[in-house]
Amino acid sequence: MSLLLLGLRSAAGPGLRCPPVRGKKRWLWPHLKAQARKAKMEGPPKPVPRLRQPNFDYHAEIVAFSKRLNETFSIQLLKTAFVNHSYLEREESRRQELGLDSETAALNLEDNQKLADKGSEFTVSYLTSTLQQGFPNLPAAGMRALLDYLTSQQVLCHVAQNLSIEDLTLSLEFPMSLDTVQKTFLAIIGALLESSGPERTGRFLQDFLIPQMIGKDLFDFWSVTDPMSLLVEQLSQRKIPLPEPRITRQSGVGTVLPLYFVGLYCDKKLIAEGPGETVFAAEEEAARVALRKMFGFAENRRPWDYSPYRQDSSDRKAIHAS
Amino acid sequence: MTARGSPSRFLQSVLHNGIGRYVYQLKRLTLTFSKDAQPSRGVREYIEEKVVDFAKQNPSVVVYINPKPCRVPKLVAEYMNGSVREEDINSKTAEDLAQLIQKMANQSGLDIIRIRKPYHTDNPSIQGQWHPFTNKPTALALQSFGAVGQQTDSP
Repeated sequence: MSLLLLGLRSAAGPGLRCPPVRGKKRWLWPHLKAQARKAKMEGPPKPVPRLRQPNFDYHAEIVAFSKRLNETFSIQLLKTAFVNHSYLEREESRRQELGLDSETAALNLEDNQKLADKGSEFTVSYLTSTLQQGFPNLPAAGMRALLDYLTSQQVLCHVAQNLSIEDLTLSLEFPMSLDTVQKTFLAIIGALLESSGPERTGRFLQDFLIPQMIGKDLFDFWSVTDPMSLLVEQLSQRKIPLPEPRITRQSGVGTVLPLYFVGLYCDKKLIAEGPGETVFAAEEEAARVALRKMFGFAENRRPWDYSPYRQDSSDRKAIHAS
Repeated sequence: MTARGSPSRFLQSVLHNGIGRYVYQLKRLTLTFSKDAQPSRGVREYIEEKVVDFAKQNPSVVVYINPKPCRVPKLVAEYMNGSVREEDINSKTAEDLAQLIQKMANQSGLDIIRIRKPYHTDNPSIQGQWHPFTNKPTALALQSFGAVGQQTDSP
């Protein structure tokens, strides 16, 4: 049968021309290939901010933002807080390029510099006073380290990004630099300060910044290289006799995994005990334990009181003194 | 897949949510549906009857309604931590859809993967890390030093 077919075809070959197949798109493959080559040369497309994507109503988003945080912002101020200087410059230059004169091209917008300054100032002053209330025994250097940690770019940007502030920020650059995010977040704090007053702003800072201390040790943000000398200094300030380190327990001394427990005694009373692989490491650890206890930063400290009416600080002082 | 091979995480929340104040994590909801296609019938019914109530109850969520010719209507939820979850909602009734949207509104936007334990703590041990002297009798820590030992023994 197949032989017969073959014979028929070969007979039809030169004489009869087959009509071209209509469905065969011979242009498609080169076209796709050219597109792929172009895409490869251009690289992946630039990320587009959510602001420029479809389905985004800026005003509704701003209102929802303030509702979400459960704060009453003045909407105008909040909008100003999101405007960065780079955006303003770009918009004005673009309007001038379109041929508008400078008076009509003016945007009547302000950038968030002033609000950011205000917010930054308030953040530092509020956190200083609150942390001093919370940790009255912490010395000035430790307080500064704690404050530096809470107002560091890393922490502020972490909070800001998880409050989805990047979505609403008007800025030229995208993805945004951490500087812009931090400045916008501080400006939002400034806007809250202007629209709702210092008490609400303080609560805002307490609710969003103070929890960043959870699970952190005192020496995570305060790098003390020589805890023993700091302990001696602190003890002499409090007029307590100097600590006397003693090995309290030891195990596996001749092995590769020795363990020493060093206790620090003041006036024949054990103030702290710490473990270590060498005697010196154990002594240092003991000094750190003693410092943590002294500064009210021990692991088993009472958690921070987040209740809104935390005005009466005398009770807290009593707790820390005990 | 075995439990060890599947992706997992610890129980956590965004920004320690709820310790200071509780912040709703859903920020944006987009319903894309067709005005006349059959699979979008439930969505149209939901939009006619329930979406306004949902928006009123959740002022922190911005709801976008996006009519557009399509076979498969979509629900896109965007969360505060930047994650986006997209669901096909073809052939769902209005009740199913209400339930789905409520579920999405209650989620935090963190990955939905196996959670290793139903609890989490930053201080896993109250008694402290184990060391060779844990639960050993305290008498082992005593050491007698010759003369001092005799003095304490005598009375």
